[in-house]
Amino acid sequence: MMRLIRILAQALMAVRAFKVRTFFCLVSVALGISAITVIVATTEGAFHEAYLMVERFGPDSLMVIAGSDEARAVGQRTKTITLADVEAARQAFTSAYLTAPLMAVEGTTASYKNNKYQTLIIGSTSDYSSAWSWPVIEGSDLSENDVIGLKNVGLIGQDLLRELFGTENPVGKFVMVKQVLVQIIGVLSERGMSPTGVNLDNRLIMPVSTVMRKIINETRYVTLFRIRFLDQENLGHYENEMKLFLRQRHALADDQPNDFRIISPMEIIKFLVALTGSLIVFLGLAGVICLIGAGFVLANLFLLSVKERTREIGIRRSIGAKKGDILFQFLAEAVMITTAGGVVGFLLGLVSSKLLTMVAEFPIYFSWKSAVVGLLLSWAIGIGFGLQPASRAANLEPIKAVRE
Amino acid sequence: MDEITQPMVLMDQVTKSFRIADQDVAILKGIDLNVRRGEFVAVMGPSGSGKTTLMNLIGCLDVPTDGRYVLAGRDVTKLTDDELSVIRNEHIGFVFQNFCLIPYATVYENVLLPSLYTMKSKNDAAGRAVDLLRMVGLEHRTRSKPALLSGGEQQRAGIARALINSPELLLADEPTGQLDSRTAEDIMKLFVRMNADHKTVIIITHDPNIAGYASRIVRIKDGLMET
Ligand SMILES: Nc1ncnc2c1ncn2[C@@H]1O[C@H](COP(=O)(O)OP(=O)(O)OP(=O)(O)O)[C@@H](O)[C@H]1O
Ligand SMILES: [Mg+2]
Repeated sequence: MMRLIRILAQALMAVRAFKVRTFFCLVSVALGISAITVIVATTEGAFHEAYLMVERFGPDSLMVIAGSDEARAVGQRTKTITLADVEAARQAFTSAYLTAPLMAVEGTTASYKNNKYQTLIIGSTSDYSSAWSWPVIEGSDLSENDVIGLKNVGLIGQDLLRELFGTENPVGKFVMVKQVLVQIIGVLSERGMSPTGVNLDNRLIMPVSTVMRKIINETRYVTLFRIRFLDQENLGHYENEMKLFLRQRHALADDQPNDFRIISPMEIIKFLVALTGSLIVFLGLAGVICLIGAGFVLANLFLLSVKERTREIGIRRSIGAKKGDILFQFLAEAVMITTAGGVVGFLLGLVSSKLLTMVAEFPIYFSWKSAVVGLLLSWAIGIGFGLQPASRAANLEPIKAVRE
Repeated sequence: MDEITQPMVLMDQVTKSFRIADQDVAILKGIDLNVRRGEFVAVMGPSGSGKTTLMNLIGCLDVPTDGRYVLAGRDVTKLTDDELSVIRNEHIGFVFQNFCLIPYATVYENVLLPSLYTMKSKNDAAGRAVDLLRMVGLEHRTRSKPALLSGGEQQRAGIARALINSPELLLADEPTGQLDSRTAEDIMKLFVRMNADHKTVIIITHDPNIAGYASRIVRIKDGLMET
């Protein structure tokens, strides 16, 4: 044991003595590891993002959207889900604690005084805030009375708020949409972008009844509805049930496609993985190439070094170093350098991903995992690419080595 | 035979050939050598006669092609590479013509070197290194790198290193070959002192004056001992 420590000290001495070799090996390993660090952080960031998205979407909820891509393609209606469907679903799925219809009206302009802004009007029930886990941060939420009484009231999203009111407090003020005056009663928290890149903060949320009757004059059909279950673990099962339930209500024959689409948290994750997957693969490839490059730099510089140090190796062998001792020393030198390179690379990775997040929307998330991955990889390079030069050093014949 | 009367080096018809240009060339052609404990032997012979080759065999840096070699009662012809390393480490001290110090280590670290590889757990090498450096007169140069030392000083460091593990056999291949005669004399006095300290010493030299320090001279020519 003491013997190994003494040989390690020799390795450290050599690492410090052969500065040029140490420097170039260290830099190339550091570059590779920094790439890997960014990749691991990005991967983790993507998963973290997916997790947050699902949390916001509601891990216990399904979203049923009227119409489907297949149906639209063959020219079928997109108005397929009725208020009655929603009500029937509420009755049928007893383990659902919330069922909320939603009516979306795109491309309307909201105005306040001289300010105008494009908005998306969402008609919903009093359950909107809880259905979407989207808190009202000022004023009050929509109430059941607002829905029953077709009240002209609304909740305002952050972007819309900024554009129309600036720093003014909107609560109690009136906004004009499609010749209807709507009183703002509450402000929604900032939500950002949806996974598909849609701005969620330009919305105006109103009672679904008001939207249907007063804004678009619609009595039956809604855009979508949302349903949340008490037992999240059975969500997959409910998704199937819902499919069958709606197909039956819409009297679809077996060969007809669904005239609706069901979105589940799983689908969101799949979508995100597809979105960030290619980025991660690209970065991963770049990182692996960097690492292999670093490995070859190390192997070559070490081979040169073994040649240059032939005499030293011969001296060590002649005074009693075993082959294994020489192997161990050279491997230790390689691993010491790559470990230092790993640490430097990790720090470089930290800095460069901070820069990346400044330049672009980039899902970066650092945890101990990226540090551990970086360290293990740098050891792997040290051992993997240091082995050949080290064993060449160990197998030098002492008599030839001392002769030089 | 007991420990004392048993020879230090006993070679019996030892041969050594090298493969040179696809041919086995016999360099040593049947060496019989008997060096008793406590002897001071000088090996002389013309250049290319095989002196260094013989020394490498005695020092277990290489193994004979044929014949028997018993070192301190132990047949070393059948030992593994690792076992030979242990013997070199514990029983033999080498002094080289070109000093063979590690350039990036200090004199002190160079002297300690053999003690790093020793398997013995009890190991007061640090203290012994200081004593040895004082003995060879290098106590003021311990922190220097070898390149800053004169040839004589480097060789004295080499001798201190050879002695650090207290070997019973001291081998030196032309230890004064690169030194002037005054310095060579100082170095030889160290060997004489070691020999007086009951160490067996074998040196190779071309110089009859150097050989004069030995108690016995053996001559080698064309791979055979001259009688
Ligand atoms: N490893 C080797 N491979 C091939 N030939 C070798 C090897 N070692 C020694 N020889 C050859 O063996 C012969 C004897 O070499 P050796 O070094 O033993 O001579 P020497 O007596 O020490 O000579 P010198 O006085 O010049 O040092 C030389 O011809 C040399 O070329
Ligand atoms: Mg020679």
